[in-house]
Amino acid sequence: MLGPDTTWYVAVAAVLFGIGTTGVILRRSPLIVLLSLEIMLNASNLALVGFSRHFATVDGQVFAISVMAVAAAEVCVGLGLIVAFTRRKMELDVDTLTELRG
Amino acid sequence: MIAGAWLCLLAPLAGALLITLAGTHISRSAAAWISTGSVFVGFAGAAVAFLQVAGENVDDREHLSTAYTWLGVPGFKVAMQILVDPVSLTMMLIITGVGGLIVWYSMGYMKGEDEERRYFAYMAFFVFAMLMLVMGGNLLLLLVGWGLVGLASYLLIGFYHDRPEAVAAAKKAFIMNAIGDATMALGFFLLIAKTGSLDFSTVFAAASDGSLSSSTANLVALGLLGGAIAKSAQLPLHTWLPDAMEGPTPVSALIHAATMVTAGVYLIVRTHAIFEAAPNVQHLSAIIGGVTIIVAGVIALVQWDIKRVIAYSTMSQIGYMFLAAGIGAYGYAMFHLMTHAFFKALLFLSAGIIIHHLAGEQDIRRMGGLRKVMPFTHAAFLVGALALAGIPPLSGFWSKDGIISSALAEGGALGYTLVVIGLVGALLTGAYTFRLYYLVFHGEPSELVLEHSGGHGSGHSYGQEDAQSHDGHGHAEGPLSMLIPVGVLTVLAAIGGLVVIPGVWEPFLTWIDGVAEPLVTPTVAQEYATSAVAVALAAAGIWLARRAFAAGRELVADGAVRTTLEHKLYFDELYDTVFSRPAQVIANRLRTDIEEPIVQGSLGEIGAGVSDAAVGTARLQTGLLRSYALVIAASVAVLVVVFLAAR
Repeated sequence: MLGPDTTWYVAVAAVLFGIGTTGVILRRSPLIVLLSLEIMLNASNLALVGFSRHFATVDGQVFAISVMAVAAAEVCVGLGLIVAFTRRKMELDVDTLTELRG
Repeated sequence: MIAGAWLCLLAPLAGALLITLAGTHISRSAAAWISTGSVFVGFAGAAVAFLQVAGENVDDREHLSTAYTWLGVPGFKVAMQILVDPVSLTMMLIITGVGGLIVWYSMGYMKGEDEERRYFAYMAFFVFAMLMLVMGGNLLLLLVGWGLVGLASYLLIGFYHDRPEAVAAAKKAFIMNAIGDATMALGFFLLIAKTGSLDFSTVFAAASDGSLSSSTANLVALGLLGGAIAKSAQLPLHTWLPDAMEGPTPVSALIHAATMVTAGVYLIVRTHAIFEAAPNVQHLSAIIGGVTIIVAGVIALVQWDIKRVIAYSTMSQIGYMFLAAGIGAYGYAMFHLMTHAFFKALLFLSAGIIIHHLAGEQDIRRMGGLRKVMPFTHAAFLVGALALAGIPPLSGFWSKDGIISSALAEGGALGYTLVVIGLVGALLTGAYTFRLYYLVFHGEPSELVLEHSGGHGSGHSYGQEDAQSHDGHGHAEGPLSMLIPVGVLTVLAAIGGLVVIPGVWEPFLTWIDGVAEPLVTPTVAQEYATSAVAVALAAAGIWLARRAFAAGRELVADGAVRTTLEHKLYFDELYDTVFSRPAQVIANRLRTDIEEPIVQGSLGEIGAGVSDAAVGTARLQTGLLRSYALVIAASVAVLVVVFLAAR
């Protein structure tokens, strides 16, 4: 098998996933939270493709493509929400958007 | 040849789809022409296939054409395939030929009706479904066609969906038929379990080489017989057919006389190998047919609705076909199926012209004296009635007498009983047919008739004038699209029986025998002996009807017998008491005693409990996105640690 060992792919994926998680938890702007979510999804895609290569099957790659499709759909909804917030002149801060409190 | 057969199957489907998809983009008459045209294209395909198959050797006349594997699991495979052989070709020609004429006739009959397009789409769909039934190359496809014709029948009986009786009749037909479908499906499950296949060749080989145990063969044959009697309206699953007359008259002619109701006969002939492996069940079908001949015949004597009389007559005639199939006279069963399609379609379509002319009136007490007003219809109806009564040389004579003489050739207690039943049936047929004929066409024109014919009905009764001489005036009786099909069917009903003349010329029997070898073959002497007796009895029946009419009384005098017959032997009331009412009582008790206190009560309690729990849980919802994310991340971290530790 050419290229780096599978371990490297998984390690990079883990680092990306960590960065993404940190972003989601620490940042307050919903836009950045969405960006960080995308990073997490791509981290998992990378892991999927890496394992797909490791086991020499295409299952992981197929799954990665469906993850991309889901991510695209999710971004549409997320960005739509953010545009709606802006239109209503709401503050773009996830800590103040707490209307769904039980 | 195979291309012709596929064309025959698919043309009506294409017609139905085209009308459905085009919707209101095409005119009503365009829909009618598409429907008629597609069925006649099917007829052309069938005719091409017929001519080619007829030119082949008797042993090479079976053709199985497979389009693709429809469903396949390891060890069991069903293909989308059609079977073209003499039996299916005969059915194809009848379905598309008679069907095409009837759809054409509908053009005039349904003109101005709301939703004509829906009607014509249904008609083409029915023809496709019926072809699927007879051409299906294995038992599963046969069952598919069987179900589809049931659906088409349901849709067309309930065509006038704003009439509650029509909707009720449609539901009744569907439910009665569902019983038969279920028994058939059970029989097929058993076949799959025992032979692992639903292919005709595999199943029939297993049935005839004795590898099916006799109990299996009996059960499978019973299942098939259940389907056959439900579809063909034989006792005791017959009550739907008279009610089905709520549909438009061409529908009664096509589905409930000429084609669909004879599917049970086709089924027995097609699966004769299974029935021969279960001789008791085969004899049972002959007995059911015999009982139906008599029961339907006597009920027909007292009915007042022109279409119901003909409907009971249909049941009775299909009884003859079951009788023939039950003693193994397959050629005669198919022969009577064909001639019956001709003369019964003719009778229904003539009745349709009358109903159309009298603005929807179906009660024969309000008719009378139509002979002078509608000479063409009178001639056509008379030919149909004589053919039905079995008067030589019209078609019904050759086929019905062949069945009775086959019963004579069968012999034994069963055979002789069936001969007597067949002969009594001939007497009844003559009597009820001509009771109808005299009441509708002879006597003084009734008020209703005068009102609808401009008052030129003459007062003469019982003129012996030759009705054929009036053909030239036919145009006034209805549009040409109605009269031409009736004319063609009149010719067919008159000469359609000449393909079997015992001892002289029997091409039809030879044609069918190649597929279903008969178990009994009457000698020529037996043929002519039974014919003489049957014709004499039919003539006696006609004479009785004429005498009763001349004396102005009914064939069955008022009294307990008549009341029983008018209630159709109380079959509907019996089913109502035994099945329908107990089911309603049980359902009501279940609602008041179980549903309301237990099910609904407990649901209320569960709801209240959940609501209380939810108030507590809702406090956990802070609305803070970042705290959710943290909880998720922390949970995942814990899970990862747990998995790693557990490894």
